[in-house]
Amino acid sequence: MAADKQTLLDYYRKMVLIRRFEETMEEHAKKGYIPGFLHLGIGQEAAQVGTMATFAPGDYVLPDHRSHGVCLMVGTPTREVMAEIFGKKTGTNGGRGGSMHVADFKRGNVGNNAIQGSTMATACGLALAAQVKKTKAVTFNFIGDGTVGRGEFHESLNLAGIWKLPIVYVLVNNGYAISTRATDAHPLADLAKMGCAYNVPGITVDGNDVEAVHAAAKEATDRARRGEGATIIELKTYRWQGHFSGDPASYRPEEEVKTWKEKCPIRRLRDTLLQRKLADMAALKAIENDVEREIQDALKFSIDSPAPTIEDALTFVYVGREVTGK
Amino acid sequence: MRTLNFKEALNEALHQEMTSDSRVIVLGEDVARMGGDFGVTMGLLDKFGRDRVRDTPLSEAAIIGAANGAAFCGLRPVAEIMFADFITECYDQLVNNSAKARYMFNGQVMAPIVVRTSSGAGFRAAYHHSQNIEAWFLNIPGLTIVAPSTPHDAKGLLIGAIRDDNPVIFLEHKMLYGTTGEVPEEPYALPIGVAEVKRPGTDVTIVASMKQLHYALAAAERLASEEEISCEVIDLRTLKPFDKATILSSVKKTGRVVLVNEAPKTGSINAEIAAVIMEEAFRDLSAPVERVNSLDVPVGFAPVLEDYVIPGPADITMAVRKVIDY
Ligand SMILES: Cc1ncc(C[n+]2csc(CCOP(=O)(O)OP(=O)(O)O)c2C)c(N)n1
Ligand SMILES: [Mg+2]
Repeated sequence: MAADKQTLLDYYRKMVLIRRFEETMEEHAKKGYIPGFLHLGIGQEAAQVGTMATFAPGDYVLPDHRSHGVCLMVGTPTREVMAEIFGKKTGTNGGRGGSMHVADFKRGNVGNNAIQGSTMATACGLALAAQVKKTKAVTFNFIGDGTVGRGEFHESLNLAGIWKLPIVYVLVNNGYAISTRATDAHPLADLAKMGCAYNVPGITVDGNDVEAVHAAAKEATDRARRGEGATIIELKTYRWQGHFSGDPASYRPEEEVKTWKEKCPIRRLRDTLLQRKLADMAALKAIENDVEREIQDALKFSIDSPAPTIEDALTFVYVGREVTGK
Repeated sequence: MRTLNFKEALNEALHQEMTSDSRVIVLGEDVARMGGDFGVTMGLLDKFGRDRVRDTPLSEAAIIGAANGAAFCGLRPVAEIMFADFITECYDQLVNNSAKARYMFNGQVMAPIVVRTSSGAGFRAAYHHSQNIEAWFLNIPGLTIVAPSTPHDAKGLLIGAIRDDNPVIFLEHKMLYGTTGEVPEEPYALPIGVAEVKRPGTDVTIVASMKQLHYALAAAERLASEEEISCEVIDLRTLKPFDKATILSSVKKTGRVVLVNEAPKTGSINAEIAAVIMEEAFRDLSAPVERVNSLDVPVGFAPVLEDYVIPGPADITMAVRKVIDY
């Protein structure tokens, strides 16, 4: 069933928001505003928006290191996500985490752990708590194709399989783990099949088709809510930038990048909207302008916000115990 | 003499050892096609082929496990763990297998593996990409930990580590990769377990390693020119086993000691060296031993958080004045 007009326009706004967010981050990293590593999700917007459209209040999400967009989708103000990436005190983690660690527990974003695969074990616990507490919470666990190699992938899927844990594994297969091709790192082309051994069903989807992504995510989420256990949804997509901002990505052919840019998920949704006559160019332009205001507001907020202070380095090391500074 | 940077010196060591010894193989994430996340394994794949230079999936336990197994069969694996922080994922393999293989099988095998890994802070990459991990392994009999601070030593110690019959954790401080220095062209092995007096002096002994060694030298230079304090600076080069004799003979001369290490203070190698000085040179001391370390807190992302926690030249200068003024 095709999604209705309002839903598709909402997807469009969110995907443009993520795209502009990422472009703005890259621009400001190049200008020297953003220290450290910056992994961008340009090209993967449909995967992020389509799945997170099924995320409901009370659910949990474990984003991965390429998930600024996912962090935006739980409803955290764009300002706070961006300020964190700038290392500012007003960011979600008070500036102590940066791009890889944006977390907002009260909205269900349990944060990324930069040790790949680590969140998969955490996800088992979130899902276990939902079973114990008899809530309907579903846990969304974003991982990349590379992370399939980690031990935690296998240990966690096994647990999810035997305990029927309410988890939706969002396996974003962008073809690469840094320079290593997914096809060189794993013996199966469709990684959704990795769940077979653990009796966790999987489905492989065109990750640049937001409607298809949403349909798969909805089925997986419904299954989890009904208590039928975990599902892997593998979303085939591509990251347009290098592994991190500044990586020249000389390990992949230009031609490949070009082909994938032609499959731009945003352009695809725009064409759908126009073809189905659900919007005209003026309506889409209005959405883009609205997004731009949000981005510019967040940017000003991030630049103007104060940095943390040295006292902040000493907080939250222990509960109820002080740590001494210099 | 010819000048190379730290990364190039390591790269040359690998090329030369792989050329002269067909038992040497290289494995790790992105080491083959891309030549390593920091470029240390560049050119090895083209020269030595896919059998001996292998990209692996993100599977740290399997990387070290496979290195152990290959070593049991007579190969000399050099494994790369991209960031030292990820070494937790293969901690068991290192602690319970590599370190004990020789002992537990009554000398029937050895595990001559080298585990190269990038460690240390300064990259603005927060708590999962900035740690100094040597203390996590100091307490494990069977392991050797090498930590060069110059391109010259990087090359010589890597060759020494490859030729050593024990499992060696080889720490490459990520802020040193771009530093340059004179490096001989021919292959040469530096001995494991031998420190070097980098700057002779008479008033205070400073013991340091890796990036902090350079801070120690800078502090010593300043103290000499501005305050007429003569510091003897020792580069440990091997952290386990560390060179007691060189340290003790310096302490005998100066009677005052400042120990410098980038890891958090509690339980760091400085604690162990201080204990040895207490046991073996108590009567030579004119002042209590001073330790310069990170604060006992994680490394935060925002520059102010990282800079406050990690020691710098000023901390060393202050510690030297303190032992002088005692
Ligand atoms: C345990 C561990 N090993 C290695 C890394 C270094 N690393 C960070 S991201 C990455 C590649 C991840 O690839 P994938 O899961 O496909 O995600 P993508 O970057 O493509 O989004 C690697 C090797 C890490 N962070 N943690
Ligand atoms: Mg990937």
